Amino acid sequence: MLQARRVLQQCLWQLQRLVRRGRLVGLGVVVAALLALGLGFGLAATDYDRMLNLAQQQYGAPAAQTVAAWRKLIEESAALAEADKLNKVNTFFNRRVLYKSDMEVYKVEDYWATPLEFMGHGAGDCEDFSIAKYITLRILGVPNERLRLIYVRYQSGNTAPIAHMVLGYYAQPLDEPVILDNMVSSVRPASMRPDLSPVYSFNSDGLWVGGATTSSADPTARLSRWRDVLERMRQDGLAF
Amino acid sequence: MSLIKQLWIAIILVMTMAFAASTVTSVLSARQYLQQQLQVKNMDNATALALSLTQLPKDPVMMELQVAAQFDAGHYRFIRIVSPTGEKLVERVFEGKIEGAPAWFANLIPIVVQPGQALIQDNWKQYGLLTLASQEQYVYKSLWEGTLELLLWFVLGGIATGVAGTFLLRYITRPLNDVVGQAEAISERRFVLIPEPHTPELRALARGMNDMVNRLKAMFNEESARLDALRKKVNRDAVTGLSSREYFMAHLREVLTGEQFAASGSLVLVRLMDLNELNAILGRQATDSLLKEVGTELYESGNGRIGQRAGRVKGAEFAVVCPSHETALAAAQEIHDRLLNQVLPRWKDQVPDLFHIGAVRYRREQSIGSLMSSADEALAKAANKGTNTFEAVDDAQAKPAIAAETWRNLLTEAARGDRLALSFFPVMSGDGKQLLHRESAVRLKMDEAGTLMSAGDFMPMAAQLNLTAPLDLGVVNMAIAHLQSNSGDVAVNLSAETIADFHFRNELALLLKAQPDACKRLLFEVPEYGVFRQFDAFRDLARTLKALGCRVGVEYFGQRFAESDKLADLALDYIKVHPSYVRGIADNNGNQEFLTGLCKVAHAIGITVLALGVERPEDLALLAKLGFDGATGPGIR
Repeated sequence: MLQARRVLQQCLWQLQRLVRRGRLVGLGVVVAALLALGLGFGLAATDYDRMLNLAQQQYGAPAAQTVAAWRKLIEESAALAEADKLNKVNTFFNRRVLYKSDMEVYKVEDYWATPLEFMGHGAGDCEDFSIAKYITLRILGVPNERLRLIYVRYQSGNTAPIAHMVLGYYAQPLDEPVILDNMVSSVRPASMRPDLSPVYSFNSDGLWVGGATTSSADPTARLSRWRDVLERMRQDGLAF
Repeated sequence: MSLIKQLWIAIILVMTMAFAASTVTSVLSARQYLQQQLQVKNMDNATALALSLTQLPKDPVMMELQVAAQFDAGHYRFIRIVSPTGEKLVERVFEGKIEGAPAWFANLIPIVVQPGQALIQDNWKQYGLLTLASQEQYVYKSLWEGTLELLLWFVLGGIATGVAGTFLLRYITRPLNDVVGQAEAISERRFVLIPEPHTPELRALARGMNDMVNRLKAMFNEESARLDALRKKVNRDAVTGLSSREYFMAHLREVLTGEQFAASGSLVLVRLMDLNELNAILGRQATDSLLKEVGTELYESGNGRIGQRAGRVKGAEFAVVCPSHETALAAAQEIHDRLLNQVLPRWKDQVPDLFHIGAVRYRREQSIGSLMSSADEALAKAANKGTNTFEAVDDAQAKPAIAAETWRNLLTEAARGDRLALSFFPVMSGDGKQLLHRESAVRLKMDEAGTLMSAGDFMPMAAQLNLTAPLDLGVVNMAIAHLQSNSGDVAVNLSAETIADFHFRNELALLLKAQPDACKRLLFEVPEYGVFRQFDAFRDLARTLKALGCRVGVEYFGQRFAESDKLADLALDYIKVHPSYVRGIADNNGNQEFLTGLCKVAHAIGITVLALGVERPEDLALLAKLGFDGATGPGIR
């Protein structure tokens, strides 16, 4: 059933691509209608059942338990204040998932995992932590402009500096952020993190053309690591 | 609509559709590609610029300079940095406008590219949001130029295809054109044959049409042959093949009253020994053979002499009318020489006194009775002179012949346009009520007193002096002038000599081309002997004149009837039947039958038949009954 849905989506994606390139003008209207039905409604809200099923199928029971727990976390935290959401989410991932390098988990130098893959493997590196926290907070209703994925230089004591990524939360636009970091168990203000120096920050603003909920039609989306992972999580059933 | 026109329309339609489809496809796909490229460029450039600004101290001047440098060196619509509180920190906007594509085109294919966004950090704090958009106006310009180029190629391709198709179609339909040409020719009463084309469908058609034309021609020939036999039976003497008495007299009357020949000429009578005596001496068979030999000699004496005609007027008496001999002496001398040398040697042993010849001059309007009696007198004088002799009486009172030099002057002046005048004679419809056209006859003004000379008197001289072409052109000019101030149609005679003149035909065509209105009211006629003498020239002339809208006919028709099948595919409009057949028609049952058949055949191929030389108004009703469409002559004036 789910496999079929995937195939259908792939087909629609191919068709839509052709139409956008002007090869199948006549089909445009039909395809647009199908897309609205097949993708639009399907992705209007995060499909937890689908994620659970995928976790069960692809990664087995422990993964499914993690996803179920994550779902519970979201349901429980929805009504909390933003500061509490930060703590809950930070603690959930820092405790539940192990830090492992991409080489260990995915056998590649660098890989940006979707939250499902992250929870499925029960392990990931700093980007995977930051992305999973970012997405979860977005699902919990934290506005995008308050969240930033930040490349930082991490140096603790006399050890060699390493490249690292954390999630920053800006309660007010001009404030200093608080930092959600997989290396530190609690959420702390940036001023209390002298071991980090920020390099560059980003979020998903300005990525979606014309307000579309998906950019899957655009082949360039797959070429950027960030846009690629966003795209894949939508296919997993995430909506934020 | 012609096939070639349809082909062009089809090509234009197909090319337009192909152009529309390929323009839409190429423009849309190019737009999609360009949109993606611009989108990626916006995102990447925003990220790169924001990244480098994040590393710098956040001095406003420094920020300004960085943005300015990127903006001025790059291709941007705008670059903007807005602080988290919404305050604009730096902005650069491109103010110019890129022309090149019409507004409707740009509106038709809107290019939607999201500006690129990236965040600038000031250490942990947010400094601002960088937004930039690349310049996209050039896209319209290049898409528009691409479309124009495509259009150009399609137009060129369309024209090339059309030209190639036209030639191909012409090649394919060439056999069809032949068939169509034949059909048109048949509808114009020209019965032509065409070679059968290789295309099977057309071959059947062409074969069918050729068969039809052949059948028509065969029918026509059969009928003509029958009529010709009838004509000979009626108008020829059975033994000698010369004109019968009746036919000869009709011809002589025409010579004496008509305008075709000169005002004076010679009549030669040849009388053999009494027929009964000859029969007694030679026996009937040998007598017939003698008569035949004499007839042949007399007939041959007329070769090359227009209007000369011999007839057997009594049992052993022959007459020859010689309009073209200068004197009666010359005419008698020639015939005498022929008989003396060709006939006499064989018969002189049995009949030493074989013949006598009497010759006299005749003048126009002279009565046949007085002419014949003076010829009889001359014959009697010859008989008194001795065996096989002749007596020629030249008219002493006749006007002195005009000297050749005088003729040359007169006719040259006439050719220049002076001295010519036209007389008109009506040609009435068969019921005598309606004027069909007026036949024009040219006159030469001889002197200041206005003495007029008719065509038969001076045209032979003009032919000798090679001046008929300018005279005929003068006549045509006068006829056109007459048409401009009078109603009705006018027939113009063209000389036999003139029609062979290529230069004349060109000049006549030029003259007529300038007068398209007059052409519809002009009829051109050529005497029958002229038509057959210069048949190819006449055919060319007839085609030219008919193409200009004039009508073409043959006058003095009927004496060379056996050859008239040649006329069938000329699309003639009318024939005027020789007066010899028309005179005395009421008493000539044979000719009535002949003319009835002639009218039927002519009508079958769409030719109008008119009678010449009608002497009595009473004859008109009879002629109409025989099938004549109209008539002219002294009785109808």
